[in-house]
Amino acid sequence: MTGFDLFAIAFVLLVIVTLFAGIKTVPQGYDWTIERFGKYTRTLSPGLSLIVPYFDRVGRKMNMMEQVIAIPEQEVITKDNASVTVDGVAFFQVFEAAKASYEVTNLENAITVLTMTNIRSVMGSMDLDQVLSHRDEINERLLRVVDAAVSPWGVKVNRIEIKDIVPPADLVEAMGRQMKAERVKRADILQAEGQRQSDILRAEGAKQSQILQAEGRREAAFRDAEARERSAEAEAKATQMVSEAIAKGDVAALNYFIADKYIKAFGQLADAPNQKVIMLPIEAMSLLSSLAGIGEIAKATFGESAASALAAARRPTSVPPAGSPPPVTP
Amino acid sequence: MTDMFVTLGTWNWLIFGLVLMALELVAPGVFLFWLGLAAVLVGLVSFAISPSWQVQLLMFAVFAAAAVPVWRRLARTDRTAQANSPFLNRRAEALVGRVFTLEKPIIDGSGTVRIDDTVWRVAGPDAPAGSRVKIVRADGASLTVAAA
Repeated sequence: MTGFDLFAIAFVLLVIVTLFAGIKTVPQGYDWTIERFGKYTRTLSPGLSLIVPYFDRVGRKMNMMEQVIAIPEQEVITKDNASVTVDGVAFFQVFEAAKASYEVTNLENAITVLTMTNIRSVMGSMDLDQVLSHRDEINERLLRVVDAAVSPWGVKVNRIEIKDIVPPADLVEAMGRQMKAERVKRADILQAEGQRQSDILRAEGAKQSQILQAEGRREAAFRDAEARERSAEAEAKATQMVSEAIAKGDVAALNYFIADKYIKAFGQLADAPNQKVIMLPIEAMSLLSSLAGIGEIAKATFGESAASALAAARRPTSVPPAGSPPPVTP
Repeated sequence: MTDMFVTLGTWNWLIFGLVLMALELVAPGVFLFWLGLAAVLVGLVSFAISPSWQVQLLMFAVFAAAAVPVWRRLARTDRTAQANSPFLNRRAEALVGRVFTLEKPIIDGSGTVRIDDTVWRVAGPDAPAGSRVKIVRADGASLTVAAA
């Protein structure tokens, strides 16, 4: 082994090592930062690139793909003093490798802590009910705040999602009871409403029917009265007509009618189906024989006085008793 | 080791070169292919003039160093070639030229625009909410807009 031998070997080794130090293949999805004597100079994009050996060295190999960080569980106290356990995820992407490498010491940890503290502040300003029902709003507010906060680091936070919100067990149980009570209340109210409606309807019906009945009675009374009036009018008219007829005509005709009716009445008495023998008073018997005379007597007594004749016609029984002397005209 | 080099000489370089080229396939992007090429060249030259093994080694080093500019030229032409997804991992640049509607006004030159269900910080002239803006430049995660 001469000196030249060793030199040749050493030289080849040096060249190979130098080449390997100067040639960098950056894989897709990463950006490498280059430091010259420890100071950042430039960023290598994916692909093959050369750096100056001995001067430059690769600083950080920054992942430029979107990454997911799990935000660890933490206890958060809401505005109404409920303590809930919350966890979530954050999606972020590095846009400027240099800033993300040198502006912040531990990027993922920084984003995690920032998100955690902001979850506390956002949820702390809300009631438990709001926290449980306004996740979109929480995510939106978190995204805006955290994204603005990470901008000096050349990073963009794309999404922050709250995963689980777990209230304490006793609170969950109370919420369950509350919901049940709410439903029961609703059911009771509905039932009472139904009862009320049906009662009202029934009362309405009863009222309506009573009104209708009363109206019917009133109408009937009116018509009864009218009928009585009409019959009275008819009676009056008939009486007037009869009296007029009597005034105009002969008393004998009147007598005929009375006698006719009288006999018919007796005929009806005789035809009574439950009696075989009818006892007739003497007076009635004598009345039969005196009927013919009644007309004569009336004519003789009253003469042309129609009113008296009518009175006699009205009261066919008011004949003078048998044996009484017939009235004598002077 | 050196004895083997001396005795086998030329063939060794060729074998060594081919092995390096094969290794490039196993561990891609480590420049081994070019070293292999240099080794094969040394072997071919050695057939012609059969120099001493020390000179052969030095030749190998020179060829390997000379391979760098050649490779760079090839890489440059490769870089100008259009990639299938030019905006891979460069989302902000992909948004340049697109037009969006402001949800909230731009005040004092900075505001936000909602794109793809996330919020982007934008810088540009003040504009009321509802006005349409065009993205003209992407600078990191911040977009520069102008009235569309």
